[in-house]
Amino acid sequence: MGSKIIYEIKNLTHSYGKGPQTLDIDYLKICEGSVTGLVGPNGSGKSTLLRILAFLEPYTGGSLSFEECSDTSADVVDIRKKVTYLLQNSYLLKRSVFENIAYGLRLRNETEDLTERVHDSLERVGLSPKKFAQRPWYRLSGGEVQRVALAARLALHPKVLILDEPTANVDESSALLVKNAAVSAWKEWGTTVIVATHDLAWLTEVSTDIISLYRGRIVGHGTENLVHGPWIRENGSVVRELSDGQKIHALSSGREDHSAVVINPSDISVHRIPSGPVTEMNILKGTVTSMTLERATGCALISVQVGDIVLKSRMTVDKMKEDMISPASEVILTFSPENVRWI
Amino acid sequence: MDFIVQGFFQSIRLIISMDEETLNVVMTTLSLTGLSMLFILGIGLPLGFALGYFDFPGKHFFRTVADTLLALPTVVVGLLVYAFISRRGPLGDLELLFTIRGMAIGQVILGLPIVVSYTATAIEGLDNRLRLTLQTLGASGTKLAVTSLWEGRFQILVAALTSYGRIIGEVGSAMMLGGNIKWHTRTITTAITLETGKGDFPLGIALGIILIAISFALNISLSFLRRRVGNS
Repeated sequence: MGSKIIYEIKNLTHSYGKGPQTLDIDYLKICEGSVTGLVGPNGSGKSTLLRILAFLEPYTGGSLSFEECSDTSADVVDIRKKVTYLLQNSYLLKRSVFENIAYGLRLRNETEDLTERVHDSLERVGLSPKKFAQRPWYRLSGGEVQRVALAARLALHPKVLILDEPTANVDESSALLVKNAAVSAWKEWGTTVIVATHDLAWLTEVSTDIISLYRGRIVGHGTENLVHGPWIRENGSVVRELSDGQKIHALSSGREDHSAVVINPSDISVHRIPSGPVTEMNILKGTVTSMTLERATGCALISVQVGDIVLKSRMTVDKMKEDMISPASEVILTFSPENVRWI
Repeated sequence: MDFIVQGFFQSIRLIISMDEETLNVVMTTLSLTGLSMLFILGIGLPLGFALGYFDFPGKHFFRTVADTLLALPTVVVGLLVYAFISRRGPLGDLELLFTIRGMAIGQVILGLPIVVSYTATAIEGLDNRLRLTLQTLGASGTKLAVTSLWEGRFQILVAALTSYGRIIGEVGSAMMLGGNIKWHTRTITTAITLETGKGDFPLGIALGIILIAISFALNISLSFLRRRVGNS
């Protein structure tokens, strides 16, 4: 599981009508049975990419192959029966919860064990079938709507489950149920899960790959640190002054537009107390806010609040224990300006 | 004033006893409007759906035509249809004049724009996430269209009821195309017109009460549906 490529994108571009280009992806592959996270600021093209992967939005240029079939346009209706997509703000059909979940199964003529599958899906999202199955669509809270919508997709036992910020508009308990239900599909049926979310902590725990998008381009794999401007020129380098007066130094890119940079968490070192003289140009004081175990690398991802931004650093669990780094620790981050990459 | 009061009480007796003539008038009205609605919905729903769902050249023009025809005067419709189905008209050989079928043509022309226009509005007003949701669940083609129509069912029912209200209450084209022939083409509205002219207020009032009762039932249904739409 996880080696066969299910999606392969080459030189894919997309723009809405005659508007500016919203996506420009050179290459991307997603493996079968993987959990892929999409991260990036609003407007970075996450939703557009997800809709393209769900075959709901035609792309402008390049190629997208699904299950090694490059000519997907002819089979789009069949592919849509394998790939399902959960909207950020889900819509329910004007019928009962049961009928909402049964709709997709009826379309596929999978009605033999209809009731069991509907009830099983409801239970997966933490809704009691007895209490909710016959409830009309208008007697549900926002969180329940999102969970019923997810149940309707889970009932299909999809090959690919695409989630567009599924927990953005729901309360904490509903968010947890939605996340657990998505993970259960991946674990039990080997469903390929592709999810756009701002919940980095959860993503690092469950995902096998994280794709960072910025302005429609892939700027890195993993939880890259994205630092927006204003970047200003100062003594030959380009600096970003943080709210507490500390500065991040970057090398000049030779271009006028210095809008944002990415820094790989692996390039940032965290020290409790520097053991020797620090030679890096970027030395920042901060406070550890959270620590998560990254499933894809087995490393710990340390989030450190520095001024008005949070920088993430990747380090081995052993090193973290050795340095006795824990939440609320005062730490020093060091990294070279050469590792600050303009995007 | 006395004749109105006496007429009212006599009309109640007429309704309770439901004499054969009154019953015939009511049944003629119901069968005429039933036949008309069959055609209005059969033609109007697909047209309205197409107008609201698809983008095609001339859509705006057709929409404007449908909206303009909402206020079509009944006597003008009566006149036009009369010209076509009278003996000298192009459809004279079909002998539709002074028949229920002939009257239904007029009513279809009156009720059709309502169903077309309101259905188009209902479809246009559907949540823009609906299409995406249906596609993500695997729907396409006819299934996508039928489910979209079903999602707008409450608004579409409002369209059907409004159209029914228009045709059951119209008198101009029914009088001109049906001729108000006793036991044959006499409807509630044409009968009220005739009986009032003759001075037979009790029968006129009795039929008026029945018509109002039907309208009242329609309005109750409409407000119930509007509440359902409001819940969505």
